[in-house]
Amino acid sequence: MKTLLEVKALVKTFNLSKKQQRIQKTKEKKKVAVNDLSFQAYEGEIYGLLGPNGAGKTTTLRILAGLIKADQGEAIVDGVSVTKNPDLVHSKIGFLTSELKLEDFFTPNYLYDYFSELHHVDKQVAKTRKEELFSKFGIDEFREVKVAELSTGMKQKVSLVISIVHNPNIIIFDEPTNGLDIITAKIVTDFLIELKKEGKTLILSTHIFSLVEKLCDRVGIIIDGKMAYEGYVSDINKESSLEDLFFNLYETSRGESHE
Amino acid sequence: MSKNVITMIKKELTRFFTDRRMLFSLILPGLLIYVLYSFMGNITSRMIEVDEDYEYQVYMVQEPQELEGLRLNENYDISLKTETLTKDEWMKKLENKELDLVILYEAEFYNKMLNYTVGSGDAPMVEIYYNSTKNESSELYNYYVGSLSYMESQLSNKFDINRSTDVKYDLASEDDMSIQMITALLPFLLLTFLFSGAMSVASESIAGEKERGTFATLLITPTKKSEIALGKIISLSIITLVSAASSFTGLMLSLPKLMSGSDFSISMYGFGTYALLFTVIISTVLIYVVLLALVSAYAKSIKEAGALAVPLMILNMLVGISSMIGPSTAKTVLYLIPVYNSVQSIISILSLEVNMMNLAITIATNFVFVAVGVVLLTKMFNSERIMFNK
Repeated sequence: MKTLLEVKALVKTFNLSKKQQRIQKTKEKKKVAVNDLSFQAYEGEIYGLLGPNGAGKTTTLRILAGLIKADQGEAIVDGVSVTKNPDLVHSKIGFLTSELKLEDFFTPNYLYDYFSELHHVDKQVAKTRKEELFSKFGIDEFREVKVAELSTGMKQKVSLVISIVHNPNIIIFDEPTNGLDIITAKIVTDFLIELKKEGKTLILSTHIFSLVEKLCDRVGIIIDGKMAYEGYVSDINKESSLEDLFFNLYETSRGESHE
Repeated sequence: MSKNVITMIKKELTRFFTDRRMLFSLILPGLLIYVLYSFMGNITSRMIEVDEDYEYQVYMVQEPQELEGLRLNENYDISLKTETLTKDEWMKKLENKELDLVILYEAEFYNKMLNYTVGSGDAPMVEIYYNSTKNESSELYNYYVGSLSYMESQLSNKFDINRSTDVKYDLASEDDMSIQMITALLPFLLLTFLFSGAMSVASESIAGEKERGTFATLLITPTKKSEIALGKIISLSIITLVSAASSFTGLMLSLPKLMSGSDFSISMYGFGTYALLFTVIISTVLIYVVLLALVSAYAKSIKEAGALAVPLMILNMLVGISSMIGPSTAKTVLYLIPVYNSVQSIISILSLEVNMMNLAITIATNFVFVAVGVVLLTKMFNSERIMFNK
């Protein structure tokens, strides 16, 4: 199996402001968000990153997307170092997170064309793909409606479509179904399965167990910035549920941190 | 220029020029300036001018026959009140603006005046009462005081100053006087318009995008940070120039109205002057945009960007005020100071006394400053502490 994403011993530490120290009830001036994290994702698989809030999932994804730099370690996307050549990595990955917003003033149609141009997609190819994706996600009738006037679900669908304008081979999804109604969530999850069938590699960060069980081939459970478990979802389900495994690991980590 | 930069510029311009609210905020200043300054000019001229057909109401006591000529001046249509009024009555009428002037000559004023020599006791007196809140009253008061003072000086005339009425003793041309007014006013106003135009668009485009989370979406495209910086600066400069053009047009059209009453004209400026002025304006706009883009990139929100820009705005106004001191005597080395060099160059262009070397230094310095700013902005876009620290 071809490795499309390789994460090697990533470490990321943040300085805590006094306000953050107060909120987190700590006197430590630094927080290790990601601690010696390593994993690989293969071509055509969906790799799930599971963890509680503050476990370091989003920080890891931000490093993979080249938005922030790791203090130590390396991330290689399709043979390209994220640290050394982030712009090239951006042309190879799609990144969807609720943190990234679309400009309210523009329409889905304008934004699709704009991001296609920034990704240097051929105009004819972009047009064909746009029609296909807009039709699939029911964006067609809203294509000339400003983003500000779209529903939350429609905004999420537009964001998803725009994150893959360049038809990347690796797509990173951070909580892709968050805040969506059940129908839109179903459309999104079906689309993720479709992408996998097309041979795309998907990194899926979530805290929804059922989503991992339904979609992912392998899962990495991150607790306190460390990889607490990594394995095939099918193997876990043979012995116990993913939920039980997660809480066992979580309780163990709590016990260790209290010792 | 790379394709990404052009794509970004197109998007930024679409954002500003298709949004009615934004477009309105760009064009409105020019319109407001024109309306406001024209209105101010109109009001000012009304305050000092008197209607040609106005009939002045004057109450006079013991007017010497020899001085009737003053009253018969063809420029003033004076109506003399014939009824006898007590002091209280004419004071009240003056206060109520029913009378314009009250002149009380001492008895035998003219003869006493002719017989008077210095040191022979009190000089004969004339008292002139008026109401300074009424233009017509002030106008007539000034006429009488001026005429009587002139007559008094003629009585003891020892020498004349500028006797001839045909000779023009003030050799300043009408153009020179207009230039003096323009150079005192325009650089300051121009700098203020340019800065405030750049301030609103830069904070919206950079701090606003950071605040709304749309900037991060841009950062995960293959666009280089330097391309983003360049795209933002060029598009913001174009938008600021449109805003400045609106303000400048409004200002130039309203100046003759604002200066009404004086021999004001802008006819001495030709295409060359405006072309040079435009060059300096472009380089100055670029500096403002770069400065405000740096501030906006550092700020976490539009509000914070606005607050951080205030000290820069005050500094800019102070530099602008330096134009009011008078014509430039700045040494060449001072043209290496951005913004100050722009003020001095604008003054020299508007004074029609352009020093091409100083102008070249100004533009070159400003462009070097802009290049350094683009590099700094690129570094800021690369800084996760600045771009993602909430």
